[in-house]
Amino acid sequence: MPAYGPWTRRRFLQATGVAGLGVAAGCASEPGGGPGGGGQATVPAPSTTFTEPAGRLSGGLSILLWSHFVPSHDTWFDRFARRWGEQVGVDVTVDHIAVADIPARTAAELQAGQGHDIIQYIATLSQYEQSVLDLADVTQEANNRWGTQLELCRKSSLNPATGKYYAYAPGWVPDPGDYRRSLWEPVGLPNGPSTWQELLDGGAEIKRSQDVQLGLGMSQEIDSNMAGRALLWSFGGAIQDANEQVVINSPQTVAAVEFMQRLYRDTMTPEVFSWNAASNNQGLIAGELSYILNSISAYRTSQGTNPQVAGDTHFVSALAGPEAAIAAQHVMYNWIVPSHSRNADAAKEFLLHYTANMASAAYHSKLYDFPAWPELVPQLDGWLADDPFGSTPPDKLAVLRNAVDWATNIGHPGPASPAAGEVFGQYIIPNMYARAARGEMNPEQTVARAEAQIRPIFDKWRQRGLVGGA
Amino acid sequence: MSSRATAPQGSPLRQLADREGFLAWAMLLPAVVYIVLVVAVPFGLAVAFAFSDVTAGDPSYDWVGLRNFARIFEDPVFWKALGNTFVFTAVSMALIIVLGKVLANILVADFHGKWVVRFLVLLPWTTPVALSTVAWLWLYDSVYSPIDWVLRNLGLIENHLYFLGRPELATASVIAVHVWRLVPLAAVIMMVGLLGIPTDVQDAAKVDGVGFWRRMFEVTIPLTMPLIAVAALFGAIFTFTDMAVVYILTRGGPTNSTQVLSSWAFIVGIEGGDIGQGAAIALFLFPLLLAAAVLILRAVRKIEVF
Repeated sequence: MPAYGPWTRRRFLQATGVAGLGVAAGCASEPGGGPGGGGQATVPAPSTTFTEPAGRLSGGLSILLWSHFVPSHDTWFDRFARRWGEQVGVDVTVDHIAVADIPARTAAELQAGQGHDIIQYIATLSQYEQSVLDLADVTQEANNRWGTQLELCRKSSLNPATGKYYAYAPGWVPDPGDYRRSLWEPVGLPNGPSTWQELLDGGAEIKRSQDVQLGLGMSQEIDSNMAGRALLWSFGGAIQDANEQVVINSPQTVAAVEFMQRLYRDTMTPEVFSWNAASNNQGLIAGELSYILNSISAYRTSQGTNPQVAGDTHFVSALAGPEAAIAAQHVMYNWIVPSHSRNADAAKEFLLHYTANMASAAYHSKLYDFPAWPELVPQLDGWLADDPFGSTPPDKLAVLRNAVDWATNIGHPGPASPAAGEVFGQYIIPNMYARAARGEMNPEQTVARAEAQIRPIFDKWRQRGLVGGA
Repeated sequence: MSSRATAPQGSPLRQLADREGFLAWAMLLPAVVYIVLVVAVPFGLAVAFAFSDVTAGDPSYDWVGLRNFARIFEDPVFWKALGNTFVFTAVSMALIIVLGKVLANILVADFHGKWVVRFLVLLPWTTPVALSTVAWLWLYDSVYSPIDWVLRNLGLIENHLYFLGRPELATASVIAVHVWRLVPLAAVIMMVGLLGIPTDVQDAAKVDGVGFWRRMFEVTIPLTMPLIAVAALFGAIFTFTDMAVVYILTRGGPTNSTQVLSSWAFIVGIEGGDIGQGAAIALFLFPLLLAAAVLILRAVRKIEVF
């Protein structure tokens, strides 16, 4: 036998195996301090509630959902779903995939007529209405248990043209302005801008004097869509009216585009035309942006990666324009049960169980997720006033307590119909602003171009009976 | 054939195994079935969907004639995407051929560490396109771009370039990634052609006093032309049909200036939910791909003759 010394292959494998286990155990026992690490939570997690299902359940239940921006949420959710399955006798499997992959995966499963029993997405799934179950019964039951559902969630799950709840919307995420106080203090706005005009004036002064730009995207991504709509609504414009008629081509929209031209010229750089959904987060965390429109995810990330920027980041509510102060929701949770689901009863019971535990979802998402039934999370006001996850000052998130007053759905003032969804998916609004900001078209021309793109989309879905109005 | 004439009498299975016609089909059948299932069936579905009102949420088939085509013809983004698809392909193909040829010449030369260099050169081709494009996304990032950083520190630029924020630079950036990932494939194909040229042909040209450039254009290139054509066509097909590079880098922006047919078909058909219209857009890829396939087959026949 050749001499290998003390390190035989077997000993090597044993040693590396033990070392691996040690590392894994060390990681598992690391004091994370609340969900996702990054500081000890100052309040304990809410306890889970459980209500016996209305009927006897069995079989399997497969759930497809996004990989949450706050990873601790997924850790909680997976355990939570499995635990419920054990309690009711259902074999629950949970699959997380990248958020960008969910529309394609959903379309493929619906076309194939097989796949997951529940699918969740962070925007409305109205385009799948004809292949999903009507969840009016689940929504009604939730209303019976916890009061009236928020209007923005109802309008993001109910198609008034058909009367069908194509989705169930138990939660949402607000979209406040995130600003760097140290940059806004020298321009006389230590509490950040409260109007679009202040954003322009202050942002321009910051760019001139401190060489730091604003970050409102005009790109083909979700945050640009939200920012564009907030500006549009605040100037009194809209894509559609309450009766689902296209009204984009209006003096108000033209005024909003003109404003965006000035905002871009005086406060921003061409980077805003190239952004993806993570770009404004990265820019804020890198300290390169004075203001962005986003959820608190960028802030939560910076708490771990750049505490100095986190300490300097504060929040403001929707900016006031000439007509209103409205922002779009940042995320709208839509849960659908496809027609091919083999266990619809279990799916509906699970959705109610999940909703009953929205307090846990809010906690484990570090206050990212908000409930569609406010009374479900009575602690939320207190948490926002005194952030359990290490904000300094502790009331940094307090501005979100009344977020529902200035947030609305993407089809505002109408519903989030398939047409509104396709306009969203084709990034027509960000491109409308971008063409003017880049000087490719004047405001009237770019609004007319947007209208030429939007009208056929509405006509198409109206012909299919999924959009109301004549 | 003599084998058939002399085959001994045996079981029917053995007789079958001796029939060349049967064997040929039996061995081809798996490939034919595979191609039918993963190419022909989806293609047939795409054609059928293009004339339907199928949506992501409503798979029921209703014939709508040319309505989807009429709608996409009215859409300026479609025409932009169509033009971009051809421009990206033509420019990429030209660069891929020139750079691939240069690289192939380097790779056939004798030098120390040739195998390491060949391995490294092949890496862009072997890396999954989505992964490598994400790496390029960072290289082009508006805040963290190392290309920007180097150019700034060399004093060549003063401000960020914003590679993906300006239509011209975004177009060039997309083309650069296509060229980067496809040059190795072209180089390897052309290297095979170079290695196949008999050395006495080159030697005879040298003895006759023919210089490098004349040898290149009058000996090497004509003799390797079929393989150059194959490399060019593969480059064209991969660029023409690719949506990953555009989708990951720009999602078609700024203002749809880098949109291509495949990315626009995906955005309309899958993200927008209108599968019929998305299929109609994607069908415009077919004529060029068909032409490319015919040309490739012709080039292969020339190689066989050669």
